[in-house]
Amino acid sequence: MAATRQPGADALDAIRRARRARRAGSIDPVEALYRAYVAAILAGIALWLLSGVVGGTRVGPAGAARVAAHAGPVVGLAVAAILAVGLRSGGKGGPLALEAADVRHVLLSPVDRALALRPQAWRQMRSAAVAAAGVGALAGLLAYRRLPGEVVAWLAAGAVVAALAVLAGFGVALVVSGLRLGRAAGTLLAVVALGWSAADVLTGTVTSPMSLLGEVAVWPLRFRPLGVLGVLAVGAAVAGGLVAVGGSSIEAAERRSSLVGQLRFAATLRDLRTVVVLRRQLAQELPRQRPWVRLPPAVRLPPDPPTGRGARGLPSWRRGWHGIVRFPALRLGRMAALGVVAGLAGLGAWRGTTPLVVVAGIALYIAALDAVEPVAQEADHPDRRDGYGIEAGELYLREAGPSLVAMAVVGLVGAAAAAAAGGGLLAFEVGATLALPAAAAAVVGALLSTVQGPPSLFSATDSLMPPEMAGVKNLVRTVLPPAVAVVGVLPLLAGRHPAPHLGPLGATAATLPEVLFVALLALSWVRYRDRAVEWWHQSMEEAQSVRGQGRQSAGPRGR
Amino acid sequence: MPPGPKSPPPVPALETTVLAKSYGDLVALAPLDLTIPDGQRVVLVGHNGSGKTTLIRMVAGLLDPSDGTAAVFGHPAGSMEARAALSYLPDNPVLYDDLSVLEHIEFTCRLHGAEDWEERAVGLLSDLGLTNRADDLPSRFSRGLRQKTAIVLGLVRPFGLLLVDEPFVGLDPSGREAFIELMDDAAASGATVVVATHQLEYVEKVDRCVALRDGEVVYDGPPGDADVLALVGA
Repeated sequence: MAATRQPGADALDAIRRARRARRAGSIDPVEALYRAYVAAILAGIALWLLSGVVGGTRVGPAGAARVAAHAGPVVGLAVAAILAVGLRSGGKGGPLALEAADVRHVLLSPVDRALALRPQAWRQMRSAAVAAAGVGALAGLLAYRRLPGEVVAWLAAGAVVAALAVLAGFGVALVVSGLRLGRAAGTLLAVVALGWSAADVLTGTVTSPMSLLGEVAVWPLRFRPLGVLGVLAVGAAVAGGLVAVGGSSIEAAERRSSLVGQLRFAATLRDLRTVVVLRRQLAQELPRQRPWVRLPPAVRLPPDPPTGRGARGLPSWRRGWHGIVRFPALRLGRMAALGVVAGLAGLGAWRGTTPLVVVAGIALYIAALDAVEPVAQEADHPDRRDGYGIEAGELYLREAGPSLVAMAVVGLVGAAAAAAAGGGLLAFEVGATLALPAAAAAVVGALLSTVQGPPSLFSATDSLMPPEMAGVKNLVRTVLPPAVAVVGVLPLLAGRHPAPHLGPLGATAATLPEVLFVALLALSWVRYRDRAVEWWHQSMEEAQSVRGQGRQSAGPRGR
Repeated sequence: MPPGPKSPPPVPALETTVLAKSYGDLVALAPLDLTIPDGQRVVLVGHNGSGKTTLIRMVAGLLDPSDGTAAVFGHPAGSMEARAALSYLPDNPVLYDDLSVLEHIEFTCRLHGAEDWEERAVGLLSDLGLTNRADDLPSRFSRGLRQKTAIVLGLVRPFGLLLVDEPFVGLDPSGREAFIELMDDAAASGATVVVATHQLEYVEKVDRCVALRDGEVVYDGPPGDADVLALVGA
């Protein structure tokens, strides 16, 4: 007997086809070509940078044998990290990002939800896998530069493993989400995946499905059929996800649909602060109800007897700490992890891979975006901020003190990580010397990004600029804040080739004044930005009125 | 005369059993037992944050209960049968950006397997003054017109239980009047209508008033017996 489809399923198919055709019809081919052109340029830059990281020296037979023996579990650990992200996302109702109208109209209709969600899930998986394949192919190309084997084999292995890893991440996320295992189970499974993979790396064995998949990455060097099992495991994860997807929570889908839409819009506008806030909402990352450390109370509430005195200490300093001691564990963990990344990247840069200094700076910058949250709260609410009777710039600087202390701790975590990873005492000494200046540069970079707010879409002053200038302005807005943070770790490079009388530590310390100068310059902008912007707007308005008067006095032109 | 076989008790249109929702420490709806017989017109009233929307969204299947159950005509809330029987009209209309009003209607009716919907759609569009805008994209509409589009979509498909949350937000007086008439028609044709509102003129028209405060039921009875002004938070 032929299976009959629900009428709603036919409607879904029809409307999806129609909408796809409409979207395809609305694509401007010139714009599409321009995007492809920009993407090609960016890919070229990324390739150039990464080539610098890897270097071009060919690895000898002994080295290649070592890679063949150990690379599988190491790649497996990276796969486990992708899986961990997926598992945690699934625990919070992810990873599907549906259109809000689909949640309201399709998921509330009497259509089988699995039927409705499966194509969406597959489409999302497919897009992510294609993007991952591109990144994987790039990694394969870089591996080919140093390792023996055919270029096509390396390209294919990189692309396939990256795509499969992402598919597996999506699959397990959908399973956790569809079975509604919850956040705790998602996190637990993520820890198990990471732990199992880490154990494989440490013991040099291939037991986890992640390591099995990692074996595929080294097939160009050595073919081990064991990798097929990893591919099958990915197939099982994807199939399981597509089967379970119908059980996903509609509550989570609705919450995510509104946040993901806003997140994409904010990312399109390069409004980093909004992206940070929305991402936290998506991850349900809320301040702690109970602070980790309770500051001495300013007032005692009944039935406790009054203190008889006001709060001690600077109010802005206290306000900053009140925010930081309520950071959720997840945020603190992320900041510490970014400190570790910065430390390891710094160690890599110290040992000769210069571009890693950018990675170290960016990691500290991202951590600082979390650390400056108390200041960001003021920038988010200008009406409240302006009611304090303190100039905004001064308020930002006063409240940034605790953020600087927190970031200095992150810097020390990085120094410790670099020392533990083989850098020894010297790495810790250099890291500790750099911790405060690098933290200062990262905090100032984060402040620059946070206080500048979203870009104005219809600015009268921008309209006076030539398009090239507006483009440069946008570029500066986007690039300057992380660049300031990167400046904070540049002294590492000076320490690599020290003058004999200075030594590595002395050479690093000798460049700190330049870093502090840049940080102070940027800090001055944060302090006096409002005044400067006001002056600029006034000047532009005057220029406009002068131009208008000039036109009036010239009178109407004949046609 | 020997007694005939007992007919089974009628299935209520909506039944909740210790239905509750909380977010951490915050109780959005305390355990609620509520039965609404088929065909009844009920109004949910209460101050902002009293739990009306939470209750409606849990019954509609949009929120997962923290505890308890809700059933629509005997089917668990959110199940396919419940979704087929229930039409939910939210306070904030969510529509596709790239579908016209008419395309929305067609899509909705086909999703719900509605038959002979064209005539009903024409009538609803006319009642709500949308006939001339049927081919327009709602993404370019005002809040009120979007709300009217959502009303058409909620009423054009078949349903046994109509759940309406703050329906008059953004509607002009004529739109409000037309919508009240449409809800009257739905009730007259046998549907159960549950409306969460602050609108006094509608409270007076219903069979039953359920008042919530801080997530708990504080009144359940005829609207005439209650201090409705206080209950709606006016």
